[in-house]
Amino acid sequence: MRRKLQILVALALLGFGAFWAVTTPTPVMPEMPPVRTANLENGKLLFNVGGCISCHKAGEGLTDVAAGLPAGGKPLKTPIGTLYPPNLTPDPETGLGSWKFYEFEAAMQQGLHRDGSNLIPAFPYGSYRSMKPEDVADLFAYLQSLPSVKNQVPPHDVFGLKIMRRGLKFWKARALANPVWQPDASKSESWNRGAYLVNGPGHCQECHTPRDLFMMSDASRAFMGGPHPEGKGTVPSLLRLVERKRYKDQADLVSAFQNGESFGYEHMSSGGMGEVQTNLSKLPEADLNAISEYLLSLK
Amino acid sequence: MFSKLQFGLMAGVLALSVGAGVAFAAMSADDAIKARKACMKMGHGGVMKAAVPVMKGEAKFDPAALKAAFDAEDAVCKDWSMWWGADTQKGDKEETHALPAIWTDPKGFEAAAGKWYAADQNMRKATDEASFKAAFPAVGDGCKGCHEKFRAPLQ
Repeated sequence: MRRKLQILVALALLGFGAFWAVTTPTPVMPEMPPVRTANLENGKLLFNVGGCISCHKAGEGLTDVAAGLPAGGKPLKTPIGTLYPPNLTPDPETGLGSWKFYEFEAAMQQGLHRDGSNLIPAFPYGSYRSMKPEDVADLFAYLQSLPSVKNQVPPHDVFGLKIMRRGLKFWKARALANPVWQPDASKSESWNRGAYLVNGPGHCQECHTPRDLFMMSDASRAFMGGPHPEGKGTVPSLLRLVERKRYKDQADLVSAFQNGESFGYEHMSSGGMGEVQTNLSKLPEADLNAISEYLLSLK
Repeated sequence: MFSKLQFGLMAGVLALSVGAGVAFAAMSADDAIKARKACMKMGHGGVMKAAVPVMKGEAKFDPAALKAAFDAEDAVCKDWSMWWGADTQKGDKEETHALPAIWTDPKGFEAAAGKWYAADQNMRKATDEASFKAAFPAVGDGCKGCHEKFRAPLQ
C-alpha cells in the first residue's frame, strides 16, 4: 500500500515535471521592424474591422475622452472566469507605450505576451495570424497615435490562471497548426479583400464557426454557427444568406452593415453583433462591398 | 340600507375585480410569451414594414399607411408591461429569446424600453418625409439597444 502510494506520488511529480518542462514559455525574439512609413488611416480601418474597442473598452470610472478609447478594464465574462482586457493606449506604464513592434506582433500573431507567457485566446490571435505584417504594423502605429490614458486594469479573475497559461501551449500547438488564410487567385480582387477582412482582422469565425471539444475552431463546419460562446442563444450560420432570404442581395447586406437595426435589420443585433455592426459601419463602402461579396459566396 | 343601484354597482365592481384577478392569474408563461411575440412580429414588425422602405427610398412617405401600422402596433402591444412576470422567463411549450438580464437588471430593461418608447413617440409626430427620415433611425436604435442586452441571438 505504502509502496503504491510512493510510486503514485513519484509518477505525479514526474508528470508535473514533464508538464512544466514542455510548457516553459518560448521567449519573444526581437526582429527588425519593417522599414516603411505607417499608414494611420489604414491602422484605424483595421481597428474598426477588428472591433478592438468592443473588448478593450474603458472600464467604469473612466469618462470623457477615455470612455471612447481602448483603455481596457471593462469586465469580459467568459465561461473560464472574468477577464479584464488590457489598456491599448500608449501610456508607458499601464498601456502599450513601452511595447516594441515585435512584441505587439508576437501577441497578435503568436498569442505570446512579451513576458513569454501564452495569451488567453479570448484574444483572437488564431485569426489575427492571417493578418498581413504591414497591417499589424499600421494598427500598432494607430494605437500608438491615440491619446494616452493611465488605467491599470485589474488582473484576470480566472481559477488556476498560471497553469492554464502554460497548458495553452498544447492548445496552441493544435489550434495554430491550421494554415493561415491565403488568397485565391481564381477569385476577384474584391472577393479576396473581403475574405481577408472576414478571416483575418475581422475574426468572424471566432463566433460563427462552432468549436470542438477542445475549444478549437472546427474548420469542417466553417461559418455554420453554433452555440453562443458567452452563454445563451445560437450564433447564426453565415452560409446561403440570400437563399435563406436573410438578405436580398449584396447591396442589401451592405446596407445592413451600414445601418443595422436603425433600418430595421434585426439580425444585426443581439449577442454582440450590434457592436460589431456599429464598428463595421465605419468602414469604407468598398470594403463593405468586398465583405458582402465574400460572405454571399459562402454556400 | 343600500339602494338597488348601489348594490348593483358594488356587485359589478366585485365581479369585475374577481374577473380581472382570474384573467391575470390565467396569463400563463406561454400566453405572455405568445403576446410578446405577437407584439414584436405584428406590432413592431408591421411598423418596420411600413417605415423601412421609406428610409431606403423605395416607397413614399404615406401618413395614412404609417398611422394604420401605429394603430395596429398599439392594439397588439398595449398590455406590454403585463407580460414580464418572473414566471415568464421560460414557457412550457413556447420558446423565447428573452435573456435572464431582463429579470436580473429590470431597471436597465425599463430604461432601454423607455428609450425606444420616447423615440417612437417622437417619430409619430413626423408630418413629412424629411422629419420622418430624421426621426426614424432613433427608433431603430431603440430596438437595437434592447435587443443587444436583453435578447439572445436569433438562429
